[in-house]
Amino acid sequence: MGRVFDWIDGKFHVKAPHKRFLQRRIPPGLSYMYCLGGASLFFYLVLFATGLLLSMYYIPSETEAYDSILRLQREVNLGWFIRAIHKWSATFLILFILAHTLRVFYSKAYRSPKELNWVVGCLTLVLSFASGFTGYLLPWDQKAYWATEVGTSMAGTVPGVGQFLINFVRGGFDVSQATLIRFYSIHVLWLPAGMSILLWSHFHMVKRQGIKKPL
Amino acid sequence: MRRRDFLKGVVKAVLVSMACISSSVAALFIYPASVKQREITMYECLSEEELPRRGVRRLDIEIDNKGRRAAVFIVAHEDKCFALSPVCTHLGCLVSFSRHGNAFICPCHGGKYDVEGNVIGGPPPRALTRLPMRVDKGKVYIGLKV
Repeated sequence: MGRVFDWIDGKFHVKAPHKRFLQRRIPPGLSYMYCLGGASLFFYLVLFATGLLLSMYYIPSETEAYDSILRLQREVNLGWFIRAIHKWSATFLILFILAHTLRVFYSKAYRSPKELNWVVGCLTLVLSFASGFTGYLLPWDQKAYWATEVGTSMAGTVPGVGQFLINFVRGGFDVSQATLIRFYSIHVLWLPAGMSILLWSHFHMVKRQGIKKPL
Repeated sequence: MRRRDFLKGVVKAVLVSMACISSSVAALFIYPASVKQREITMYECLSEEELPRRGVRRLDIEIDNKGRRAAVFIVAHEDKCFALSPVCTHLGCLVSFSRHGNAFICPCHGGKYDVEGNVIGGPPPRALTRLPMRVDKGKVYIGLKV
């Protein structure tokens, strides 16, 4: 690789130990179906980058949230563009993870010794659903509010602990400022942190265990 | 038991209990400190003459001076007059009254209630909540938990 990289690698020493992962043999007969996971990673990275940008203008407050979205759409340079990319990447992330899950399921790649990687992948899918759900509230418009009202009310149908769960999720009795800031925190800190750890372990296991031979 | 195994066990126990304690502290921190127990407050909303004689009337009650409003339905049906909460008992959306179908219909999942608030279709588990209503010196008061 380039001279700058070699200089950095002179301090880090990552190239040599990673060679056998980066230049590993892959089984013959792989198709584009084996790129779905990589495509999901691409959308995850796009979401991460555009999310970093959006967080500079978004204000997670009951009185300011909606106005800050309007400002983002109308006044901020390319605000509409960055927000649209974030929105569409979120849709495509879910689609591609689902397609990837189907591919893994169809090619029976969840079997031992890859069973833990299947579990990690499913957890990633759950966290990406959670990201979608928490991100949906943030525009703080009618659709966002009522979707969250309905979504969090579902927790209340759990027998016995329903109301406790609702309070826990909403941070109060109903969907309010407490819910908004809670969802914002989960959306921009907890879930990306959790997903990054899960994705790292996902790829680590892929490297260690290799790609399963197609059926 | 060898001393080494004993110490290993002790260290493990300390680590596990530390993890338990810190996660309970975190959960306690995340749980809302005061979930307000809502008291019923009676709001004056209209005069007795304005009560509907027959049918359903939607009313927006101003609940504070910041312009927050709460909607209620006042129903006059078979000589009775009562107030219904518009909150769907399924998942909390607001129902609207359809004059055409003579029923309350929830836009979210199609819950349907008759004019008395009883479920006649869709997923709601219970009838619409009846709100306390009082007529005093020609004025109508409706009780809301806000």
